[in-house]
Amino acid sequence: MTSKLAFRVLATLVAFAVLARIPVGFDVGFKFDAALAVIWAFGLLSLVLLTGYVGQISLCQATFSGVGAYTAGMLVSNAHADYIVAVGAGVAAAFVLGVLVGLPALRLRGITLAIVTLGIALVFDRYVFQDHAFEWFTGGTAGWRVNSATVFGLQVDSSKHLMGAYLILLALFCVVALLMVNLHDSGAGRRFRAIRDSELSAATMGVNLTRYKLLAFGLSAAIAGLGGAFYPLVAGSVSPQPFWLFTSLQFAAIAVLMGVRYVPAAALGGVFMAVIPDVLTRYGHGTFHGHPYDISYDWFQFAVGVLLIVQLILLPDGVWGDIRHRARHAISAARVVTARRMKVA
Amino acid sequence: MTAFAAYTIIGLGLGGIFALAALGIVLIYRTTGVLNFAHGAMGMFSTFVAWQVFYGWSHPFWPAWLATFLAVVAGLVFAAVMGLVLEVAVFRWVRTREPVVKAVITIGVLLALQSAASLIWKNNQYHLPIYLAPQTATIQIADVPVGANYIVIIVVAVGLAFGLGAFLKYTSFGRAMRAVSDSPTSASLWGVPVNKVSAVSWMLGSLVAALAGILITPFINFDTTSLTLLIIDALAAALIGGLVSLPLTVLGGFALGLLETYPTIWIQSLGFPRLIALLVILAVLILRNPRGLAVAK
Amino acid sequence: MLRVRDVTVRFGGITALDAVSLDLNRGEILGLIGPNGAGKTTLFNSISGVVRPERGSIFFEGHSLTYAPPHVRARRGVARTFQNLQLWPSMSVEENLMVPMDALGGRNTFSDALYMPFSAYAERASMERARAILHVLDLDRYRHTPAGDLPAGIQRRVEIARALAMRPKLLLLDEPAAGLDAKETSRLAELLHTVRERFHVSMLLVDHDMSLVMRVCDYVYVLDFGKLLAHGEPAAIRNDPKVLAAYLGEESKKLTGEVEAAARARRDERPLLEVRGLAAGYGGLEVIRDVSLDVKPGEVVACIGANGAGKTTTLRAISGMIHPRRGRVTFAGKDVTGRSAERITRLGLVHIPEGRGLFPNISVEDTLRLVSNTAGHDVDMKPAFELFPRLRERRTQLVGTLSGGEQQMVALARAILSRPRLVMIDEMSQGLAPTVVRQLFDIIRVFREQGIAVLLVEQFVESALDVADRAFVFEHGTIGLSGEASELRADRKLVAGSYLGTAVEDGAAIGVANGNGNGNGHHLDPALMETVAVRLPAKVKRALEQRAEAEGRPAGALAIELLQQVDRQ
Repeated sequence: MTSKLAFRVLATLVAFAVLARIPVGFDVGFKFDAALAVIWAFGLLSLVLLTGYVGQISLCQATFSGVGAYTAGMLVSNAHADYIVAVGAGVAAAFVLGVLVGLPALRLRGITLAIVTLGIALVFDRYVFQDHAFEWFTGGTAGWRVNSATVFGLQVDSSKHLMGAYLILLALFCVVALLMVNLHDSGAGRRFRAIRDSELSAATMGVNLTRYKLLAFGLSAAIAGLGGAFYPLVAGSVSPQPFWLFTSLQFAAIAVLMGVRYVPAAALGGVFMAVIPDVLTRYGHGTFHGHPYDISYDWFQFAVGVLLIVQLILLPDGVWGDIRHRARHAISAARVVTARRMKVA
Repeated sequence: MTAFAAYTIIGLGLGGIFALAALGIVLIYRTTGVLNFAHGAMGMFSTFVAWQVFYGWSHPFWPAWLATFLAVVAGLVFAAVMGLVLEVAVFRWVRTREPVVKAVITIGVLLALQSAASLIWKNNQYHLPIYLAPQTATIQIADVPVGANYIVIIVVAVGLAFGLGAFLKYTSFGRAMRAVSDSPTSASLWGVPVNKVSAVSWMLGSLVAALAGILITPFINFDTTSLTLLIIDALAAALIGGLVSLPLTVLGGFALGLLETYPTIWIQSLGFPRLIALLVILAVLILRNPRGLAVAK
Repeated sequence: MLRVRDVTVRFGGITALDAVSLDLNRGEILGLIGPNGAGKTTLFNSISGVVRPERGSIFFEGHSLTYAPPHVRARRGVARTFQNLQLWPSMSVEENLMVPMDALGGRNTFSDALYMPFSAYAERASMERARAILHVLDLDRYRHTPAGDLPAGIQRRVEIARALAMRPKLLLLDEPAAGLDAKETSRLAELLHTVRERFHVSMLLVDHDMSLVMRVCDYVYVLDFGKLLAHGEPAAIRNDPKVLAAYLGEESKKLTGEVEAAARARRDERPLLEVRGLAAGYGGLEVIRDVSLDVKPGEVVACIGANGAGKTTTLRAISGMIHPRRGRVTFAGKDVTGRSAERITRLGLVHIPEGRGLFPNISVEDTLRLVSNTAGHDVDMKPAFELFPRLRERRTQLVGTLSGGEQQMVALARAILSRPRLVMIDEMSQGLAPTVVRQLFDIIRVFREQGIAVLLVEQFVESALDVADRAFVFEHGTIGLSGEASELRADRKLVAGSYLGTAVEDGAAIGVANGNGNGNGHHLDPALMETVAVRLPAKVKRALEQRAEAEGRPAGALAIELLQQVDRQ
């Protein structure tokens, strides 16, 4: 058990070391993509917890990210709060909203819950993030501007010092991901998975459904909000568009596409969500007679839709799940071959 | 009083839109067991095909009724083909998977269709809708002039609800459709041609989506996202009908329409009525399943 | 210890429980019996908190449980199992046991995720206790297997183990013997006694298997239509005329002479269904191979054999639910191998699968009208309602809300209405009370009168052989024995041999001869073979048995040796 933990810590450190180097040498745009990838990865990670571990469905994860982003942005711009405090407040706000969204989940499940959370995403997308009544929260059409901040002693802003933001986000992601993997095998993780596999027997075997479902929704929202809270810093401002309804749908689609039960799949999905559209935007216009902007994004979304369909038909466990199965297969096959060779020798 | 009547009529018109969109969702859910998040997107795509025929390909010297007729027929034919293709290429292969997986697949369909429409017809412009009745035709009800197109929507919604309901209940093909959605394996053991029946179910669902799309576009922003997003109100109406009863779904649509309209008498906010509607639906849903735990039998 | 007073539960308009009271003393094993739909499971659900009663009260060790949520009851010491297995299928057996243990310990999510020392300590303690329980229930070897991958019989045992991990004072067992064969059931009875002694628990047991209830329980309550009908010692209950009438029904009449005559008359006809060298399976597993059988027009044929011998798979491969891998199926003179189920059905073959193959959200009437899909015209439902008057009363009810027996009636009614040439029925009596079973077996005689052939898969060997002309005995995925039903009935030893260790109770309702000296000349540890069966293809298993026979050693020992060798490599 302890050796497993040591292995995980080591793997996380290696992953951090490798990933931290990658954006170095690229231009600001790609550094922004790298930071954005981690923000989206947080959103996907929140679904690994909520859907992958606990089996609850949510189509409003981007709303949680958005609440984290707006709360942090408001506190920094309006109250001139320290950025760390603002992030903490953003996470707390997302947690509270998550628990509130979790309340109907105590009674509803499956498809009905999906519809209700979609409704929540719509209400926030159209009527909170974009409504005049909530300007105190959203900063109106201009949104909040965040020029620069010092986080953990690192100077961070949205242009020159983007690497700082990326490194902080990545480090936080690694820590949260490690905690998530640990959580899976722990007692609490078992209770979560028990709820996923059969609520009925979980309740009759002493698992407090109310508490653990609300906790799952709260924690999941907090994870999404943690990523979102860094958005104002990375992008320089907050606007409703990144956290609209279709981002929520994309979260769900890409989480399932990559493998909703696996933590590394979230990282993979984050890169997929942030980098590919940008690459398409930059290098996609040559082929499209002078329509550089929307087209490439639509192509990306089209690809996500089609891939999702193909994947659900062919690889029910997601891309990462499939890679994992294949790797395990290959390892055990290799073992058999080695054993046979040794016998022959 | 007149103001109240006016709001009632606006609400009912809005409700008719929700009801019409919701009907197709309930129809597909009852006949295939798939909760179709892509319903709005499917209707949108077919409507754009009709739009293409009407504004793009029809000859300016054709009489308006001919162009309209051809456009509608083209949209409906396209819808039927799309339903067939979706069934054969996608939903046939996931027939025995859990409902949630199928619902997620429809999200994939939604993303694909919506972005494909943006690629073809561009997302950044407003498109002129097709009017079945002349745009200016009105009928006086309680001193309030009501657009003829609203009346068409309400009549079609109510007619479809009862017509489709009777079709499912009293015809042998309708029963076969329900059997397939309940359990495809059992249905094949009962001699029901499962592939054929579910293909027809999808074609029918897609047709209803297209019809709804063509009728609704005069009243909303006709672009690639509005109709897709209408799905959420439609789903809410469908939930009021318990995803089973077609007439109740229509009632749910009207109720939702009124619910979203009346508060605007007092409050100048778009968000607030929606929030109220969401809470009311939540209350309805929770009251309907009083027990938290599903009792497995 | 447990006191249930005047508990009333209503679902919609139906009263599922009507003022039921019950008492259970410490250390007692209490039986709860009654026909299907009598409200046994509902009473269980009210005690464990899944259903909230409308009136009445439930006390456990002096505390009121009436309004407590399920997890609180569990922590007070009320644990349960489920009729339809409710393990957590993706979690390993060990993890399944650790969840209830953690719930007792009040563990903290954050310290768990951080892997704090306290959590690590608690973790190790839980794991050790889980192992201890698994050891007592002889489940050690499945520790790391995902629970969902185990055969149903083992899963039932794991459910009991999981309930025990709750450290319960009271264990509620909901049909623990459902789906078990005679041998497995008698092992279960022993197990329950062991459990009572080792874990000091009281038990409340619901089951249809009277032999189990009578053997295990100290005291029995009988429910009928949601009301308490009687209670008393098992011996007294067995002789209570009220109970006998309501629950056991009347003795069925034997028609042996008539059956034999019919069988002889048909011996020379061309077969209606002919299966030659059939092989089929799921994924990497080949479940049946080289199955050959035939059914003549109007004949009743039974397929019997131990659980997992391949009977159900054979029916599925015949009706087109799964694709045969090799072999040929001829029905009514046509080669139907590999055709789709709906086309085979339309040739006049009705397959009633396990679980009855009905549509839960369609009403009884509309379900029966579906028959017109095969008949091509509207059907007259009168004959069905004459045969099953109960269905007429419930014609507008959704099939999913009917009791198990009524659902089976709907399935059989459909078979009669569609006038097929052959009806295949899989486990008709599973989960049904004896009265209902007897009624249903009578229907098979109706089929015979109408000249409809029947292929029957049945757990109740005696009843099956009673109605059948001929029988095939399945053994390890192929047919071991076949012959006239009357011969097989006379020669119980022969059948017992094929059951490979099927123990039989004398005095118990069903069963064959003692399994220890079985006819095949080699012993297998059945539990071990189950694990092996999970992992190995049938071919390998077979080879293992042959080698064991050649070397004159038990196959179980050989298998363990081989597995150890593999592990070492």
